[in-house]
Amino acid sequence: MKKILISAAVGILLSGVSLFGAENKSVEKVYQKECGSCHMAYQPQFLPQRSWNKMMKNLDNHFEVDASLDANDNKMILAYLTSNAGDVKASNKHFSKMSNSIASSETPLRISQTPYFLKEHRGIPKRLIEQKEVKSLANCSACHTSATQGNYSERAIKIPNYGRWED
Amino acid sequence: MKKVLTVLALGATLGFGAPIDGYMQSLANEAKKADSSFKGFDAARGKQIFTSEHIGKKGQNISCASCHTNDLKQSGKNTFTAKVIDPLSPKVNKERLVDAKNVEKWLKRNFNDVYKREGTAVEKGDVLTYIKNY
Repeated sequence: MKKILISAAVGILLSGVSLFGAENKSVEKVYQKECGSCHMAYQPQFLPQRSWNKMMKNLDNHFEVDASLDANDNKMILAYLTSNAGDVKASNKHFSKMSNSIASSETPLRISQTPYFLKEHRGIPKRLIEQKEVKSLANCSACHTSATQGNYSERAIKIPNYGRWED
Repeated sequence: MKKVLTVLALGATLGFGAPIDGYMQSLANEAKKADSSFKGFDAARGKQIFTSEHIGKKGQNISCASCHTNDLKQSGKNTFTAKVIDPLSPKVNKERLVDAKNVEKWLKRNFNDVYKREGTAVEKGDVLTYIKNY
């Protein structure tokens, strides 16, 4: 009987770990893993809630790439994105300017096509964007050395094969 | 006793990072069911699937190797985003081929990206065999 109880306890423990493990890990970690495998895990504050809702509905065709997730992970990540979206939470001046630049009638999916973003990047020569170290304006951390920490200040900019950027 | 086994089985089924062998066995069963002459997975066929180019989902000519490179023991780079991809070979990267759910997710995505369709059981098993033995 004792043996049975121990086995049962181990079984319950194992299933418990896997059932609740995902919740113990912070949701941000899941977001980092699932979305950050292919591109920088952009801060949710870059886009309003309505954009994230639209984005997460269409992951099978995510900018012409299949980024589909299983239903649970999708739900968990969407909750994280919407509760930290730019229209509910803007922790620094860049994020609030970005959020304020988006018309309420718009539901942008590309951060790089929002008005504030375009304005901030308009002076950068095409060759610096298209070079292999950068590829596109979606690759924040290629030039913003502290992008993953949410720091987009001018001081933290270093463009490959160019150097510091000053307006 | 039966109850204990059930509980244990439940623990194993739900387990995160379930070993890949079970998944490959289920692919083999599926392959056998679809074609009774199925003899087993083949790394050489897997290599062909991995390295051959196709017009992918983005309308460009790509292969798996476009991002993962032809040397699975080296890091690759996402050809669209420039994000570094850790090596696929489990011989140099202990995190590869350990979580069936993760493996299934990437096979679905990447077959769609390169072949514009999901892989068959044989194709998926062949590619996994190629990666596993690289």
